[in-house]
Amino acid sequence: MHHAPRPPADGLVSRTPAQARSTRPTGLARPVIALAFATMLAGMAGGLLRAGVALPLQAGWVSQAMVWHAALMICAFFGTVIGIERAVALKHRAAFVPPLISAGSGLLLLLGEPAAAHAGFVLAGAGFVAVNIAIVRRQAATHTLLLLLGALCWMGGSTLAAAGVAQGAALAAWFAFLVLTIGAERLEMTRLMRRRPGAEGLLLAVLGVLLLGTALCAPWPAIGGVVYGLALAALAGWLATFDIARRTVRAPGLTRYMALCLLAGYGWLAVGGLAWAASSAGLAGARDASLHALGLGFVFSMVMGHAPVILPAVARVKLAFGPAFYLPLAALHGSLLLRLAGGALSPAWRSAGAALNGTAIVLFILTLLGAALAWRRRHGPAA
Amino acid sequence: MTETDALLGFQPFPYVGDEALRQPITDALRRVIDPEVALSIVDVGLIYQVTVAEQRVHVLMTMTSPACPVADEIMDEVERRLDPVVPADHRIELELCWEPPWTPECITPQGRRLMGW
Repeated sequence: MHHAPRPPADGLVSRTPAQARSTRPTGLARPVIALAFATMLAGMAGGLLRAGVALPLQAGWVSQAMVWHAALMICAFFGTVIGIERAVALKHRAAFVPPLISAGSGLLLLLGEPAAAHAGFVLAGAGFVAVNIAIVRRQAATHTLLLLLGALCWMGGSTLAAAGVAQGAALAAWFAFLVLTIGAERLEMTRLMRRRPGAEGLLLAVLGVLLLGTALCAPWPAIGGVVYGLALAALAGWLATFDIARRTVRAPGLTRYMALCLLAGYGWLAVGGLAWAASSAGLAGARDASLHALGLGFVFSMVMGHAPVILPAVARVKLAFGPAFYLPLAALHGSLLLRLAGGALSPAWRSAGAALNGTAIVLFILTLLGAALAWRRRHGPAA
Repeated sequence: MTETDALLGFQPFPYVGDEALRQPITDALRRVIDPEVALSIVDVGLIYQVTVAEQRVHVLMTMTSPACPVADEIMDEVERRLDPVVPADHRIELELCWEPPWTPECITPQGRRLMGW
């Protein structure tokens, strides 16, 4: 069996590694990523105060972080790191502008300039849509189109947030941005396995319902929220059934770690979806579970899983992967269980769980720093 | 070629040029692993062609997605692995292309077996 001969190289997007290095606009990536992590830590402080954790912080930015927790975490942090990831993939200097704007807008929120910040998030979302159009033009495939849809959700959610209308729909659209982005990336990976017929169609149907739920949240928050939550739970079912993680979890080392991050995340996605539906149907106690099973259990678990591979690519920092990475992962999922299960019984458990969620994230950042130092110790300073 | 490839008479990618370099180059490329699937980039089917001519080793390759930011990392690793097996007077040229797009048909039989096809 032989592969079909490929066409010659002439006329293709091409370059040698030497040229590639000279055109890597990574000079911008590191400071923007650092700013994104800083706004995330600030956003976390705001979240902890919301969860009733007493912090010895009195500064003005802390109260701003408390008010704008969701925008800081989703737009200023996730939006920025996803934007950087796509900019590095596209290799175009202009593609770094959207994440620069979203990270800067996070700073504006903390400085007490919400109007400018929200305008910034709309602009960043629009820029990110343009970046994704460029990616689709490079290769039009289901997963690149889904990434574009995700970008449109970010822009749409930010527009609602900036206009101060339909805040429930805005939040649903922001989460849809993250969920579609992850769904698209997972769909791309499932191509490495023999996919059962109908799997892609099923995913598109589930994501279609998710978008329908997002749209319905504006006129009918309760109905929209139930549809949205059930679509999230169905997506968890799809991922648990079709994702390559079910197979790669049997591999050793980093591959297994990544798969465990994914599989644990899918469990929380199901919990988050059901809690979202329950909270929309009137069960007020499920709101914290819906937002944080989704944001921390699902999305942040993906970040933890992919950071050892993506961070070296975007920040040009070499990392030595080791078992230490399991510590923040276990801390994240364990503390989330404490927060949500314990929180259903008493607010004190919710606060304790939230404080430990924050600790897990700080531990994760320290693990990344340790992994970078370990690599340098073994190999000398990175080129 | 791995033992399995040899048994099947399988060539994981079209190769043009000095036969003496085919095996070491293939082995070197097989050492570049996609960490998410623990599969070599050869088995994923990212190598479209290798041409050795006029004192240069030209590798034409792709990625599974244009939205993936790790292309440079993978290409650095390819260069690092090829460096010790390519004669010192040969240049290493890596070319990333998006046409034709990668499809699951590019996965080698060994890759399929490892991924449970």
